[in-house]
Amino acid sequence: MKDVFLLVYRNIKERKARAALTILGIMVGIGAVVALISIGFGMEESITGELVEMADVIMVTPMRMELGSIGAFGSFTDRDLEAVKRIGGVKDAVAMMGTMEEVEYRGEKFMVHVIGTDPKDVGALFGAIVKPEEGRYLKANDHKTCTIGYSIANDYFDDEIGVNDRITINGSKFRVVGVLEKQGGFRSETDSAIYITARDSVSILDNEDISTIFVRVRNIGEAEEIAAEIEKRIDDNHKLDDFTSAMTMGSAIEQMESIFGVLQAVLIAIASISLIVAAMGIMNTILMSVMERTHEIGVMKAIGAKNRNILFLFLLEAGVVSAIGGVCGCIVGVIGAHAISFGIQTLFDVEIAAIVKPEVLLGGVAVAMLVGIISGLYPARKASKMSPVEAVRYE
Amino acid sequence: MIRTENLTKVYRMGEVEVQALREVNLEIQDGEFIAIIGPSGSGKSTLLNMIGCLDTPTSGAVFIDGIDTGKLSENGLAEIRREKIGFIFQQFNLVHTLNALENVALPMFFAGVKRETRLKRAEELLANVGLGNRIYHKPSEMSGGEQQRVAIARALSNDPEIVIGDEPTGNVDTKTGNTIMDILEGLNKEGRTVIVVTHDAEIAARAGRTKRMRDGRVLD
Ligand SMILES: Nc1ncnc2c1ncn2[C@@H]1O[C@H](COP(=O)(O)OP(=O)(O)OP(=O)(O)O)[C@@H](O)[C@H]1O
Ligand SMILES: [Mg+2]
Repeated sequence: MKDVFLLVYRNIKERKARAALTILGIMVGIGAVVALISIGFGMEESITGELVEMADVIMVTPMRMELGSIGAFGSFTDRDLEAVKRIGGVKDAVAMMGTMEEVEYRGEKFMVHVIGTDPKDVGALFGAIVKPEEGRYLKANDHKTCTIGYSIANDYFDDEIGVNDRITINGSKFRVVGVLEKQGGFRSETDSAIYITARDSVSILDNEDISTIFVRVRNIGEAEEIAAEIEKRIDDNHKLDDFTSAMTMGSAIEQMESIFGVLQAVLIAIASISLIVAAMGIMNTILMSVMERTHEIGVMKAIGAKNRNILFLFLLEAGVVSAIGGVCGCIVGVIGAHAISFGIQTLFDVEIAAIVKPEVLLGGVAVAMLVGIISGLYPARKASKMSPVEAVRYE
Repeated sequence: MIRTENLTKVYRMGEVEVQALREVNLEIQDGEFIAIIGPSGSGKSTLLNMIGCLDTPTSGAVFIDGIDTGKLSENGLAEIRREKIGFIFQQFNLVHTLNALENVALPMFFAGVKRETRLKRAEELLANVGLGNRIYHKPSEMSGGEQQRVAIARALSNDPEIVIGDEPTGNVDTKTGNTIMDILEGLNKEGRTVIVVTHDAEIAARAGRTKRMRDGRVLD
């Protein structure tokens, strides 16, 4: 066995450049697949990881424009909120009154999403997930105070905003009582929003339109039924069909997973094309090797090699070349996955880890060898079936 | 014993037919040293290829120790080549990526001989042909005569009863040719059947029996 490897090794060494190109082909194919799968796992984990914390949450939004208010989405009322709270199985429900407002700080002005909420409800809903980094959360009897998202505090304005600084929202001064922790990813909206009390939203900003209702259920198992009930009750209130959309986070997770599943499948399919190209490369390499060594094959047969000895020799060559390609591909894939992860982090500020699973690496090498051996099969069979005289005569 | 029966080989190249062998009947006894001479194209190599189980006849048959080789499978033929026959070519035909030792050990590898055993035997065989100090040389690092001696050592590796040489001295000078004939003579003395094709009458004269060929026929 050692000698066959030696023979194969010398054959490969003799045509270094050609073998290197073939190895490169396999490497690119396997590398792309490994990188995409690893990033895919990372994405899946970051999505589901974030959403799982909120699995018992139902997000209720107006889905359709209300008649007469062309150009703007409809909104909910306090009556809707009360109706939702009365549904059995609902633990908490919090209304969010979101509008875009002009916010000024030390002479700079931006349009920012300002959300009015009832502090005690928000605490119940998000207290465990979105914590203040500095300062505190809004309190029930706060007046003209706000908590601000991480990006508002650090990125929007030239000067950093901290606790006890004052900002102007739509002409009125508000005191910052808390800066929220950076959320990023799928909760990055939180980073660029300002939170005020519902009371201030109504009295100072004159906005009592509820844009979103977050509902927390007692029992995740009932989430779907409760969501349906919410849609029905609010639709009844407004005497409209399909006005309300109540989405459970569970179904959001499923939806995201299926979207990313499809995305990943498409990317892997594209990467697989490079594997097919690589397979043809191997076939070509081994075919050339067979042609070049026709004479040698004849000699080996003349001194007693059986067809299967020759077949094995060339399959081994294909296997060795593709295994090297597979291993290199795994290395490149791991590096690539980390590079993609880093790229996404810097470009989109979304943290997606590259999750490298050992079974993916093993699978990568196995697929490479499988591809190699399958594409080596035809040339190897061709070699093994050569007539010894013909092959010896061939120069 | 080797016996051919109306052995015929026809090469067809499109419309043209070449009668390389025409009903050759030849008997070679065990332990014989036979030389075959004849002009170029007379069918000498074709005959040796048939006897050496490298090629199959168009009609007629070759019997080796009573076995009709035409009835054997490809594997069966490979086994006969491996176990019973040692073939020496005019062009040496060593595997150029392997050194002398590995070349000689190669047939034993195909025969499934253990690594240590075959390397040890290969070393002995090389020593026997006077190349004990050349075992790690690649073919490209050796002279024609040395390469041919490696080829002879390789032909002997599975201890064959029959040694076949197709102009084994054709590519070496007279002196080296004589050395090679000495070795072949020695093999014959050990009891092996030796069949040699040659153009050289002097070399043919060293054989026990000489057969002439012309136009695909063996003359009496
Ligand atoms: N593969 C082949 N295809 C077609 N014709 C062939 C083939 N092999 C041999 N021949 C023809 O068969 C005839 C006998 O060839 P062979 O090689 O046996 O001659 P030879 O006696 O060995 O000649 P030389 O002394 O030149 O080696 C020649 O006419 C040759 O052209
Ligand atoms: Mg010839």
